[in-house]
Amino acid sequence: MNKKLIDEIITTFKNTKCQMIENKRLIINTKKDIIHPLLKYLKDKEFTRLALISCVDWINDNEFEIIYILTSYLLEHEKSEINVIVKTRIARDKPQIKSIIPIFENAEFYEREICEMFGVHFEGHPRLISLFLEIKYDIPPFRKDFILREFCENTFDKIPPVGDEK
Amino acid sequence: MDRNNIKHWLKNPAKMAHKYSLTVTYFCTGCGIIEIPPTITARWDAERFGVTPGASPRHANLFLITGYVSLKTLKAIIRSYEQMPDPKFVVAFGSCPINGGMYWDSYNTIKSLDKYIPVDGWIAGCMPRPETIFIGVTHLWTLIDKEMADGYKKYKKNYKFYRKNQEMLYGKLDWEPFYPIGGDNE
Repeated sequence: MNKKLIDEIITTFKNTKCQMIENKRLIINTKKDIIHPLLKYLKDKEFTRLALISCVDWINDNEFEIIYILTSYLLEHEKSEINVIVKTRIARDKPQIKSIIPIFENAEFYEREICEMFGVHFEGHPRLISLFLEIKYDIPPFRKDFILREFCENTFDKIPPVGDEK
Repeated sequence: MDRNNIKHWLKNPAKMAHKYSLTVTYFCTGCGIIEIPPTITARWDAERFGVTPGASPRHANLFLITGYVSLKTLKAIIRSYEQMPDPKFVVAFGSCPINGGMYWDSYNTIKSLDKYIPVDGWIAGCMPRPETIFIGVTHLWTLIDKEMADGYKKYKKNYKFYRKNQEMLYGKLDWEPFYPIGGDNE
């Protein structure tokens, strides 16, 4: 069952690499424009649930890696017992990727979080506004070139204590 | 409670009432709230000290901030603090509100709470045990007796500076000043 799935993915989508880890996780490395048809294909198969969208900052390669994790809602004996992890890399200078809200609606909040923390722009997202953060940051705070200590010194430590003015 | 102190209480009954009926708003900002259920229930029984949980900040006079304070929570803390009736006391619980604790270089956690609202007492530790709340409360009694727990008066007096600090952090605040700025707040 799993082998059949891997063969189908490799034959239908070009430029994809599949890798199986511990017979539990199927990792698919692909290009950014194949993400949409690939996720649609996987959703039609059995992986109907988007568990997580994550992002990694590979600063030495000058790239962001966007990761989609899909799981299945089928019963134990029906499903293939694997989670699918779809990975793609985008350029770090002008990070842009198509939003997957048309396929998985719950992607909205994950995409908002990644936009806020890494500064990745999701094209076609209806409301790409701040989710957690309260103030504006020059560099999005989860990027590797955001220096925490320097930021704290410039914002929190500069605020003077309130003394007794007499 | 010492019966010999009755004379002392009768001098200022209001002070005694403040001391022995502290109604608390537990502000569940972080991990410190884990220590609160055993404190207010049978194991440690905070009611022995007159400490009871309050339903809303408008009914409370002790504000216990348990845990780290993120930028979003600080807004809620300021607004809840301003709603509390006088006299009000603030106790910061845990090392995070004191100097940041383990969040000392976090991008989204404020480092010292007393730059934004006045704090009357600190309970250090990560985590402090429930007994420390009672030690803190008994210390607060002595402070109230000596009229040293006057954070709410300081807030009124130095409101200009507190508001300035709050605005330094957030830019523009989306609520009106609580006290008139520039006027004499004595």
